Amino acid sequence: METTNKRQSGDIESIDLSVNIAGVELDNPLMTASGTCGYSDEYADFVDLGELGAFVTKSISVAPRSGNEYPRIVETRAGMMNAIGLANVGLDVFISEKLPKLQAMNLPVFVNIAGVTQADYIQVAEALEDIDIVRGVELNISCPNVKAGGIQFGVDPSAVEKITAAVKKVTRKNKLIVKLSPNVSDITATAQAAVNGGADALSLINTLTAMAIDIDTQRPILANKTGGLSGPAIRPVAVYMVHRVYTQVAKPAGIPIIGMGGIQYASDAIEFLLAGATGLALGTSLFVDPRCIVEIKNGIRKYLADRDKSSVQDIIGALQID
Amino acid sequence: MCDHGQSKRGVFSAAVAVNEQICEDHFLLRLHICDPVRKFPPSSAGQFVQLRCKSADSREAGHLVEATATTPPQFSLDELTNHQPLLRRPLSLGGRREIDPGTTELEIIYRVVGTGTRWLAGLKSGAELSVLGPLGNAFAIRTDKPKAALIGGGVGIPPMLYAAETLSENNIEPIAFCGAQTSQLLPLTVDGAPDTGGAPSLCTREFTERGAKTVITTDDGSLGFRGFVTQAFQQWCDDSGVAAGQLVVYSCGPEVMMRIVGDICIDRGIECYLSLERHMGCGMGTCQSCVVKIRDNSEQGWSYKLCCSDGPAFPAELIVWE
Ligand SMILES: Cc1cc2nc3c(=O)[nH]c(=O)nc-3n(C[C@H](O)[C@H](O)[C@H](O)COP(=O)(O)OP(=O)(O)OC[C@H]3O[C@@H](n4cnc5c(N)ncnc54)[C@H](O)[C@@H]3O)c2cc1C
Ligand SMILES: Cc1cc2nc3c(=O)[nH]c(=O)nc-3n(C[C@H](O)[C@H](O)[C@H](O)COP(=O)(O)O)c2cc1C
Ligand code: FES
Repeated sequence: METTNKRQSGDIESIDLSVNIAGVELDNPLMTASGTCGYSDEYADFVDLGELGAFVTKSISVAPRSGNEYPRIVETRAGMMNAIGLANVGLDVFISEKLPKLQAMNLPVFVNIAGVTQADYIQVAEALEDIDIVRGVELNISCPNVKAGGIQFGVDPSAVEKITAAVKKVTRKNKLIVKLSPNVSDITATAQAAVNGGADALSLINTLTAMAIDIDTQRPILANKTGGLSGPAIRPVAVYMVHRVYTQVAKPAGIPIIGMGGIQYASDAIEFLLAGATGLALGTSLFVDPRCIVEIKNGIRKYLADRDKSSVQDIIGALQID
Repeated sequence: MCDHGQSKRGVFSAAVAVNEQICEDHFLLRLHICDPVRKFPPSSAGQFVQLRCKSADSREAGHLVEATATTPPQFSLDELTNHQPLLRRPLSLGGRREIDPGTTELEIIYRVVGTGTRWLAGLKSGAELSVLGPLGNAFAIRTDKPKAALIGGGVGIPPMLYAAETLSENNIEPIAFCGAQTSQLLPLTVDGAPDTGGAPSLCTREFTERGAKTVITTDDGSLGFRGFVTQAFQQWCDDSGVAAGQLVVYSCGPEVMMRIVGDICIDRGIECYLSLERHMGCGMGTCQSCVVKIRDNSEQGWSYKLCCSDGPAFPAELIVWE
């Protein structure tokens, strides 16, 4: 790579990584992907979580959920499938036990919410209106691992619009992010529906529905039979979907995208930025090494410095395409 | 950042000091961690580490993260042709010592069963490896019980070595019961002839060094007592006349074996801890993949606990077997 205009390291530090997600100022674009980072400080021993731009929690539902039977994950080349089943402590325990720790982290928090009925989503969203540290809710209408829930809302554009509008009514202080499923024939249709329903931001992608078979027993490996594929294997799909949603929906509507799916290195993160993502969420990579947060941030800075850019905003959606 | 005093868990870069085959399919791995900034934190018997079974490039080896390349990593032919897993692999600590100021040696014994462990087996001394840990909880050491039985099957033996050392230091007499299918698969150095009747003797170098007599069992009778390790343990309970209240049992190995160990101990009123294995996504308590059903007072009579962060050892009477 040509680096004739290489800046000094002091300059690198001064590069502005801040982004704005629907009115919430983030120090940098990096966030956690729901379900891969626990509720709060689980990674605190391994990385300084203050390096993040925002923290996104595990999906929270009204009642606690114990989740699917074991085995819940299986590895594949360059990725993994999971069928956790939205196991979580439930709204009350989240507020009483997990929130105080989140508060201490001093980061903008987006709470991912999941439900079986529309009323479930509304109840969680309403309860989170009173909490200062929470700046937004992310609607998980796209979890492929729950029989009675999630996915139905996520695949049908009219259902997406309806649930988005219903939750929008109860979110006053909090921003509303809708997390899109890649398991649809046209993701721009569900993205547009979310925007029509009043979404302040879109996040994509959730996991791709997948299956692994044990050839000895001739049965599915996961107890849930299917799981959601994540990790480097899905990155090209995710980059393409971010590109499509950005050009056809988000850019015209003027709303930001939080991009995710297999981000592992700085170069991956930069692909998402170029495709049009404003925020970047890290999932599976955190399992391998939580310090990838710092590494990716540094890499983005260096990329910008090498190209004489002073702000990350200069490359968002900068993909050259004829 | 530099940690003073107690060092936190983290990702460390280790150098392979020894990686030698000790019997069919089994390898002894000694890793040296010498980090100028952070010491490997205190660890205990029962804990494990997550190893990255992948060539260390400077970004992932566990160096403190510095400014980063933004070009995609260049993989060598070896990396492309020999599949290296994405996720880390959990391996128990078999022992740990400070070898000179600032260098910690970790001892691991592993069996080659798949991609990750096969990759480990190819490591030469001097190679660099990324270690995440220490993870999980220590075995509960009961200083009020004068004797402890350590029941290990196959690769469940290494944590029993670490336990023997700790028990001896606490003036508790450990007696090891080690089982393998056949003598070729026993990852221990046998001195003299183990008793075929199942009487404990100083017959293995590793346990003798840690103050423990050993009973060896093989399914085919090729070494020591012919039969299962559980049969030898049961017979010893009858013959030795040790009162149940004077004994505590720790066990690690195949689940069928631990289940029987648990049943024997519950029947006889012996306190017993079983160290379970689960497929792990993270090892840090975030992914919820490593669930174990543990009895409680809830309506369904159990709830899921995490093998990685609540375990890996659990009291036998609390485990709900599948
Ligand atoms: C807390 C803990 C401590 C462990 N300690 C040791 C140890 O000290 N020495 C040792 O040799 N092994 C130990 N194991 C098991 C070890 O983690 C697996 O053998 C290893 O992950 C296999 O990786 P692989 O890539 O070689 O095999 P893969 O290619 O992933 O799989 C090969 C086979 O191993 C099975 N397997 C894979 N991962 C696990 C797992 N986590 N648990 C059980 N079976 C698995 C697969 O189902 C498959 O049949 C431990 C596991 C846990 C959870
Ligand atoms: C183990 C695991 C659990 C997840 N749980 C959730 C969840 O509770 N809610 C949700 O919206 N997404 C969940 N996801 C999806 C991630 O947030 C993310 O969309 C996806 O994994 C793609 O990113 P990645 O490739 O970086 O992991 C989960 C993913 C994994 C791997
Ligand atoms: S391995 Fe991820 S929670 Fe236990």
